[in-house]
Amino acid sequence: MKLLVCVKQVPDSTVRVKVAGDQKAIVPEGVTWAISPYDEYAIELALEHKDANPGTTVGVITVGPPRARDALRQALAMGCDDATLVTGADVETLGGLATARALAKVVDEVTPDLVLCGKQASDDDQGFVGQALAETLGWPHVAIVTKFVASDGGTEIWKEVEGGHEVWKASGPAVLTVQKSQKDPRYPSLPGIMKAKKKEIPEKDLASLGADLGGPSVEIRAMEPPPARKAGRVMKDGDPKALAAELAKLLRDEARVL
Amino acid sequence: MTPFVSGTDRELAEAVRGFARGILGRIPAAEESGEFPRDLIGELASLGVLGLTVPEADGGVGASAVAFALVLEELAAVWPSLAVGVAVNSGIVAGTVARLGTPGQRARLLPQLMDGRGLAGFCLTEPSSGSDAASLRSTARRDGEGWVIDGQKLFVTNARYAPFLIVLARVGAADLQRPHAGITAFAVPTDVAGVTIGPPEKKSGLLASETSTVTFESAHVGVESVIGEIGRAFGQVALAGLDAGRIGIAAQSVGIARGALDRARAYAQERRQFGQAIASFQAVRLSLAEARTHLEAARMLMLRAAWRKDAGLPYTREAAQAKLYASEMANRVTYAAVQTFGGYGYMREYGVERYARDARATSIYEGTSEVQRLVIARALLSEAA
Ligand SMILES: Cc1cc2nc3c(=O)[nH]c(=O)nc-3n(C[C@H](O)[C@H](O)[C@H](O)COP(=O)(O)OP(=O)(O)OC[C@H]3O[C@@H](n4cnc5c(N)ncnc54)[C@H](O)[C@@H]3O)c2cc1C
Repeated sequence: MKLLVCVKQVPDSTVRVKVAGDQKAIVPEGVTWAISPYDEYAIELALEHKDANPGTTVGVITVGPPRARDALRQALAMGCDDATLVTGADVETLGGLATARALAKVVDEVTPDLVLCGKQASDDDQGFVGQALAETLGWPHVAIVTKFVASDGGTEIWKEVEGGHEVWKASGPAVLTVQKSQKDPRYPSLPGIMKAKKKEIPEKDLASLGADLGGPSVEIRAMEPPPARKAGRVMKDGDPKALAAELAKLLRDEARVL
Repeated sequence: MTPFVSGTDRELAEAVRGFARGILGRIPAAEESGEFPRDLIGELASLGVLGLTVPEADGGVGASAVAFALVLEELAAVWPSLAVGVAVNSGIVAGTVARLGTPGQRARLLPQLMDGRGLAGFCLTEPSSGSDAASLRSTARRDGEGWVIDGQKLFVTNARYAPFLIVLARVGAADLQRPHAGITAFAVPTDVAGVTIGPPEKKSGLLASETSTVTFESAHVGVESVIGEIGRAFGQVALAGLDAGRIGIAAQSVGIARGALDRARAYAQERRQFGQAIASFQAVRLSLAEARTHLEAARMLMLRAAWRKDAGLPYTREAAQAKLYASEMANRVTYAAVQTFGGYGYMREYGVERYARDARATSIYEGTSEVQRLVIARALLSEAA
């Protein structure tokens, strides 16, 4: 089976992001970048399939700026077979639909059996590109996937639902958007890191793909950090019994949590 | 950006840092029982740590000496006992076999060091021969198709886990004029008749690392077990191996100090006395600042020695300097870290006194600090003016 995983490079979850002066983006300086966590789960799911089914190949692709090469290297170090970088001018402000259309062009070329995406990226949390990619390709799509297995003539796909899961069957190519699963994504192994260094990562020019990058899009009007939290209140002096009564009253009447 | 460190070196170290964080929970029980979990050796093998220094052509990772030092630092920052075991297996033993082994020996022995079946050991020290290693008394004599080894080796790290041991023994009679003469290295499987591993030593620190006496009584090995040239192992194996090994001890020392300082820093910001965090007291701040500075100086010495090794430059003096400075630094920094914790620092539960106990060995093994000074002075005084 030929699998293709779409990944996005996002600020690492430990980074404290700052909003830039124009309020349209974050300050890129000092940011450590990482593969978006759900995309890592998608890679893990693909690699588990490869571990269990020799002959499976796992490709990884990103549409992003040149620094996103590091995300691809990491995916290669984890065990993916090949990687493709789609990049070009304005790639950082590309909307979700245009990204999906660019990915669709590469999917047409690569002809994978399944495309896996994270269910959403951890930077803008839109949860959009996977679905838009399926729509552009005209392929079926299953969301919130935690597992898949090849079954005769197709793929059985586990979709998480409230309190359990549903099993879906795709008879041909499909797009899966992947949920966090029980098993954490693997660390890159040390030999994997060395091998990934030696692999070529071909680059495709965004503008030359022939994808329609116009069309409906959303625009960020303004970003702002969450409001600063008000200082807490400390109650310390007084008789413990009276303090407890006062606390209960405040929790009920002011905080309204009781 | 750090001088001497490539992007690959950094990535390898970061991958091991991630792994090391995940094993924290297993440390207390293992230190208590004096054994590290066997499955951990397997995990180190699958991650690729055990074959880090082995050339790619021999099935290893083929990483640089710089990367190996950084990886040992990462392991030691979390668990020094584990770092010691890896340093012996993948440092001095793997280095010796990869450097001097015939193709047949490499194909036979290197996989045993990398596949997670155990951790190999190195046997140089004897009851009457420590710093004066060339005075060793173990003997090897020809017998038919092979060799017979007799003698006793002390303080052998990993003995119980080892698929094989590198053993230094003398071929022919000792010659007081030429004390190194005759010393030969053998790769001896631990399941050979005549090899007995004594009970583990009860140590002050490095509790989960095993250290035992190994006795050889007419232990028969084949001719294929001789590593390097007969009679020339003192220079080829012991001195050369220790040069590289000292970078490893420097790395362990840096890691130990880092682990202790990280804890001290966090504790100083959290613990309040006299109405403020103890980190606001100048005495505590100065102690932390001093520790950080010496730690980084030690890391630079370590990286320079490793980088010279990678570049094929002589590095005997640089490795001795790194080992001397880093191990003494680790003793001072871990002392200061315990002091920062006050009484809690003395309690095992807080996990900082362990670093101080573990640091103590670094200025002793692979050549004491006094011996490092001899090595450094010899180099210094033989340099042209
Ligand atoms: C935890 C641990 C693990 C070990 N693992 C191994 C192992 O795996 N394999 C192995 O072969 N060995 C191992 N050793 C042994 C270690 O390498 C020796 O203990 C060390 O080399 C010192 O030898 P010694 O103990 O005989 O001390 P000695 O040589 O007796 O030294 C005693 C004191 O005299 C000083 N001294 C000696 N000679 C001189 C001199 N010329 N000038 C000035 N001072 C001098 C020393 O510095 C020291 O302070 C291990 C030791 C420990 C503690």
